[in-house]
Amino acid sequence: MITILLRLVGRRGTSMPGLVASRVSPDLLFRLLSQLEQCVVVTGTNGKTTTSALLYSMLTDDEHPWLTNRGGANLLQGLLGALLPHVDGHGRLRVKRAVLEVDEATLPLITNRYHPTLIVVTNVVRDQLDRYGEVDGALAMLRSGLLYPGTILLTNADDPLAASLGWERELTYYYGMDECPVDEEPRNEVRDGAFCLICGRELQYERYIYGQLGYYYCFSGHFGRPAPHFGGKTDGSSELIVRERATDPRQEEFMVNAGAPGLYNDYNVLAAAATARLLGRSPRQIQAGAEHYEAPPGRMQTFPGSPERILALIKNPTGANSVLRTLESDERDKAVCFAINDADADGRDVSWLWDIDLERFVSAARCQRYVCAGTRALDMAVRLAYAGVDRQRIQIAEELPEALAMTSDLDVPVYVLSTYTALYPLGEQLRGAAR
Amino acid sequence: MTDRTVTLAHLFPELLNLYADQGNISVLRHRMQARGWTLTVTPVKLGSRVDFGSVDMVLLGGGSDREQQLVGRELAIYREDFATAIEAGLPVLAVCGGYQLLGEYYELQSGERIPGLGLLAVATRAGKGRLIGNIAIEWVSQSGESDGKTIVGFENHAGRTFHDYAPLGRVLKGHGNNGRDHHEGLQYKGVVGTYIHGPLLPKNPHLADHLLAQALAFKGCHEPLDALDDELEWRAHRSVLGMLGVKSGEIRA
Repeated sequence: MITILLRLVGRRGTSMPGLVASRVSPDLLFRLLSQLEQCVVVTGTNGKTTTSALLYSMLTDDEHPWLTNRGGANLLQGLLGALLPHVDGHGRLRVKRAVLEVDEATLPLITNRYHPTLIVVTNVVRDQLDRYGEVDGALAMLRSGLLYPGTILLTNADDPLAASLGWERELTYYYGMDECPVDEEPRNEVRDGAFCLICGRELQYERYIYGQLGYYYCFSGHFGRPAPHFGGKTDGSSELIVRERATDPRQEEFMVNAGAPGLYNDYNVLAAAATARLLGRSPRQIQAGAEHYEAPPGRMQTFPGSPERILALIKNPTGANSVLRTLESDERDKAVCFAINDADADGRDVSWLWDIDLERFVSAARCQRYVCAGTRALDMAVRLAYAGVDRQRIQIAEELPEALAMTSDLDVPVYVLSTYTALYPLGEQLRGAAR
Repeated sequence: MTDRTVTLAHLFPELLNLYADQGNISVLRHRMQARGWTLTVTPVKLGSRVDFGSVDMVLLGGGSDREQQLVGRELAIYREDFATAIEAGLPVLAVCGGYQLLGEYYELQSGERIPGLGLLAVATRAGKGRLIGNIAIEWVSQSGESDGKTIVGFENHAGRTFHDYAPLGRVLKGHGNNGRDHHEGLQYKGVVGTYIHGPLLPKNPHLADHLLAQALAFKGCHEPLDALDDELEWRAHRSVLGMLGVKSGEIRA
């Protein structure tokens, strides 16, 4: 049976062979998971794929190889698809350690029957509303996925919703930013965590970092930002200082540089480094792993050429604001292409485009041209018009491949910001163009 | 030169902001600005008072279930003044959760009733499964007439809403108030209640202008609104009709 499945696997670890296999044997995934000696699950709304990729490069080596579901196939079939290539002829896993990115809704399905060593929750922010109901629903799913007390939880102290998952839970560690550049004025952003989960009062913020992330507390003293066991310090470069206060009263500091731009990536690096420390990796091993890290497809992935093109996934307002902020810090003239689809995996409701702080971006970002593509190109175009872009400067691509052609005459970098289902075809096209 | 400011009270924005109400506000603001008016937005946090006498228009947005329960607790203080203002013709746009909140209660599956503002005889009950997807309706006036204009957007609600007022329109594709009677939304005097977001106004500039004209009339100003360049808006509108397979021939664009 397994050998037939393996023939189906081919070389790519995607959902397809997993889908076939899960039809054949729904128990197979759990039979394989139970053979793992160590398993880290990475979940949350934003940063799952990047954090998993960072962590994988920090953990794996020739002596102790790890496996991972690289590429964001994070539902049950995708997990099975990642495990199958490592099964030998007797149905046993050859690799005994796994970093698995898991979709929030899939987490309880896994943890009902299998208990990972450690679960990382990166953040809980507004995502595809039509898919999960509302952000409360996502939080409830995560909470039910974290019931087993023997699993270590590592989560984000700066996000009130993610941090609430660790409330009165043992075996919980937090990471958060000790020092990072922040805006003078809080931005006009969506903040979903802005209420005390116990008394319902609005949380107060001593300091905003981005989105709902910051130093928050409830007036009634019910709930506040927990002191992080792993503190990050960044000056806006990609060098991150990690301050460890988890295992020893003496504070230990080490530097990690994964070359990933943006404050949101500092959080991903911090989460990965903290996990690696909790699993016993040395700071030297962590830095060596970070040096080998390559951005996963479409996570600020650069395609050299003329013009240079940079591909980035956007899928919700908080993530999109983080990406736009990174674009703003690029002081060159630029063009931006938005590829907005509304398939199930993208979120069918495009309301979220209006929760992105585009007004600020439009006035600050030195953008010469805007191109809109995808099934919801026109929604994006209207959004840009109301954000203050001159309607004459907005171009609409009827088909996805045209979008890139509409910027090929430019000699400035082109940022291509894409929802999930447009990301893969755009990546393929860009790879072809850069070759 | 008279005062050319329209004041919009945005009720409970800290709680009811789930479906991009900033989009609706942005559309109202820009379309006023283009006609030489200023739209001032007054956010009203739950618990703080509203002087309905100094408000030209009200926006009530949608929130998550948890947030709606928080709102439900503290609504009594608004009821009397708000009801008087509605009877006097105050324009109100109430979307999703805000629409439900205009009514008497939201009944959960458990039978528990979360009180609403009790401004209109509207009842909402949680149904099995959410009604989700793109939606197109034919806009019908309060007297029951239609000139073939459509309203498009997205709906996502577990509540099934029932009332005897004029609907906002007849469902062409989608679910509407309750998935049963082919009605979507509500119109009563200056009130427009609807489950349609996406947000509602960017792709429905005719509805945005209808609300703005009502707000100006409520202020006592009856000047016509100049036409704007809405080509992009109508293209976006038609693209949703196209996705839903609704013929757009009748739409005046």
